[in-house]
Amino acid sequence: MAELSDKAREEFFSEAQEIIETLSRNLLSLDSAIKAGISDPSLINEAFRAVHTLKGLAGLFGAARLGALSHRLEDVLDDLRLGRIELAQEVLDVLFGAVEAYTRILQAEKADSDEDLDVEQLFVELERIGAGATEHESPVADYELDPGLLAVLTEYEEHRLRANIALQMQLYRLRVQFDLATIDKVLEDMKERAKRHGEIITYLPTGEATSADTIELDLLMASRDDLATLIGSLGADHVVIEEIPRRARRSHPATMPPRRLTALGRGESVGMQPELERGGLEQAASLRSLTQTVRVDIRKLDHLMNIVGELAIVRSAFGRVAEKLRGEGQRKLAAELQRLHRNFDRRLGEMQDGILEVRMVPLGQVFDRLARVVRQISREVGKEIRLVITGAETEIDKLIVEELSDPLMHMIRNAIDHGIEPGQGRVEVGKPLAGTIALNAFQKGNHVMIEVEDDGRGIDLSRLTEKAISLGKLSRSEAQEMSRDEALALIFLPGLSTRESADDVSGRGVGMDIVKTNISKLGGVIDVHSETGIGTKMTITLPITLAIVSALLIQAGKHTLAIPLSSVSEAIAFEEAAVRLVDGREVITLRGQTLPLCRLDRLMALESAPHSTSRRRFVVVAALGQRRLGLVVDFLYGQEDIVIKPLGKSLSAVRGFAGATELGDQRVGLVLDAAGLIEEVLAGIEAPRTLERASG
Amino acid sequence: MANLTQSTASRLARRIGDRGPVREFLMFALAGELYGVELTRIKEILSPPPITMVPRAPRNVVGVCSVRGLLVTVLDLRRTLNLEERPLTRRGRILLGAAESGEVIGLLVDEVRHVVRLAANEIEPAASALGGDVSEFVLGIGRPAGEFLILLDLPSVVSG
Repeated sequence: MAELSDKAREEFFSEAQEIIETLSRNLLSLDSAIKAGISDPSLINEAFRAVHTLKGLAGLFGAARLGALSHRLEDVLDDLRLGRIELAQEVLDVLFGAVEAYTRILQAEKADSDEDLDVEQLFVELERIGAGATEHESPVADYELDPGLLAVLTEYEEHRLRANIALQMQLYRLRVQFDLATIDKVLEDMKERAKRHGEIITYLPTGEATSADTIELDLLMASRDDLATLIGSLGADHVVIEEIPRRARRSHPATMPPRRLTALGRGESVGMQPELERGGLEQAASLRSLTQTVRVDIRKLDHLMNIVGELAIVRSAFGRVAEKLRGEGQRKLAAELQRLHRNFDRRLGEMQDGILEVRMVPLGQVFDRLARVVRQISREVGKEIRLVITGAETEIDKLIVEELSDPLMHMIRNAIDHGIEPGQGRVEVGKPLAGTIALNAFQKGNHVMIEVEDDGRGIDLSRLTEKAISLGKLSRSEAQEMSRDEALALIFLPGLSTRESADDVSGRGVGMDIVKTNISKLGGVIDVHSETGIGTKMTITLPITLAIVSALLIQAGKHTLAIPLSSVSEAIAFEEAAVRLVDGREVITLRGQTLPLCRLDRLMALESAPHSTSRRRFVVVAALGQRRLGLVVDFLYGQEDIVIKPLGKSLSAVRGFAGATELGDQRVGLVLDAAGLIEEVLAGIEAPRTLERASG
Repeated sequence: MANLTQSTASRLARRIGDRGPVREFLMFALAGELYGVELTRIKEILSPPPITMVPRAPRNVVGVCSVRGLLVTVLDLRRTLNLEERPLTRRGRILLGAAESGEVIGLLVDEVRHVVRLAANEIEPAASALGGDVSEFVLGIGRPAGEFLILLDLPSVVSG
């Protein structure tokens, strides 16, 4: 790759990445369109444009491999768009292969590696598809079309005309008078309205105009509606609509070979069905149009968020000064400062919200990638899968989205491989042949929930427990005492896989434990629900953002700690007398339900505060997903917005903390990792005291 | 351990060769001995801000503190070097340096003295000065004007 500044390189990679994602999305839409029997020319056009832009970009940045692939892909897409080759599943397979190849090439370029990426096979495939291109015989001659009009059709327009005729659309001519001053807008407007009825294929000036300020165009339109409907919808004083009659079938085919004549290809037709010239102008235009948005490194946003955090500390200081002034009898000055304080507070809040909003991206980003994976795996394992996505617009912190794609991918692989039965098996139990995987996302308070649901055979609990016993993870008597939920949770144990063979997509026994660890790192939890024969549903609960959170400040021992409010359901007074011991674990009863307790000071071996025993204490109920844990603390300070900073690498082995935050007055407070604590205490694992702290 | 020592010695020898004969060390006191770390390894010297103890952390970690918004893990050099522990006096300071991972780490020391310039012939490599079983933290012994200075390799101290 050519020598470039780091910034330009970054820009190039993120732009290329974006285009490839767009392409992938287009192909997926095409895939479902084909399955539904719909032909949507705009999708192929978009794919073509994406590849075309990528080719231009590759040229600008001297990325030869990217350019070579784009060039070949562009040819195939051009053939597709012009109807020279038919869009079949096999063609789509190759196109999806190209998307994978793009991703690999991009990674290699990023790493500055020259490794052989083995794209030759793909090139051969592309070549093979391209060779299948045929020139069509034209059924166009069946219509009494003006030869003058036909002669100037571009190849693309001719293809659209043919395609519409093939779909049994009726053709209409709209003779329209346009005011030269407003033609752009009016024409756009007409095209927009025409979309409801069909498609405007081309337009051509008639050369007859009533005055110097007007122009008359003939619009060729295909529609499934009848003349009366069109007149009702598009008709006006300056619009004359006529049906183009069908000729009696002629014995000889059309003699007119309309090849790529571009009388209409310039200037005025650009606004219409996009006419694509493979020249420099188009490339310049598409590169420019992409600069509407600004790409920002997420670290810069983190930095801004840090500043907001520090400003919040300044704000508290303001408040203190105001109080002090009031105390000293300077009422007027104090009131003035108080007003400034409130104003500052409000603006700071807006700024914080603004920055948070910028960090938010729709989950659709990762769902698109998953849709590609589903398609690929379903073809690999020969199971037909219907992927239903809801809530792709649900927004979540960019950092979380990045970390989500691997865990979700693994869950989906599991669902396809272990969950969905092979086609025949499904039919036998009366299920539709195609398995359904639903990917649902929605917001719930301060959390985003993501569900991965399949309508497969469900988790076989007896096999699961057998496997766990054979691996020595639990004893037979333990297995018998386990509740259904506890048994289901076995899938999260390391090394457990219910599939005997490891030859297929998942089933290697690495997986759900790693998925669970990754989700907990994001401050989330995962719950599993499964019904034999009906299906499995995994639910991930995640915080919306990691950048700034509302937290409850508490005291435990001598420590001031923060617990993210998103994982706190309530706080109640603690009564020592209400504690019961069940199987060595302390619990209390809260509104008829058993709540396991955790004494933070004991768990963390905290130094106790001087008179902690005499004082009233509290239970903070931490809840995530379906699990609850009561944390016994010494004091509640109240709620505060905090910026969580991760602990350094040297403390990465320390469990139970999500990071630390500044408390004002220069002090730092640790932030509890509620998900981790719930996990640790409920799983009954003794805290691994990494290095036993000596008494001194 | 012998291997480690040799590599430390050769590392030291190499550094001396690379960087010319005279190097600057920051001299500080710890449990009654004088130590030195190469000046270029130190980002900053701080009066200790309030330090928050981290439960479950490794033994040599005192806690975390905030240095102008940056979260810094503070190590007690006495614990790292297995010296007798004692509460800080008002002369106590924190030296900020970078670990091999790039993480900024604070090192708690009793008192910072001054900077000394040591020529190559004033430094005894650890292996020849102390023989076999020497901690990999020790680069060598410096002898400026009759003093005895234990030279530490800051990156390995803060990474260990």
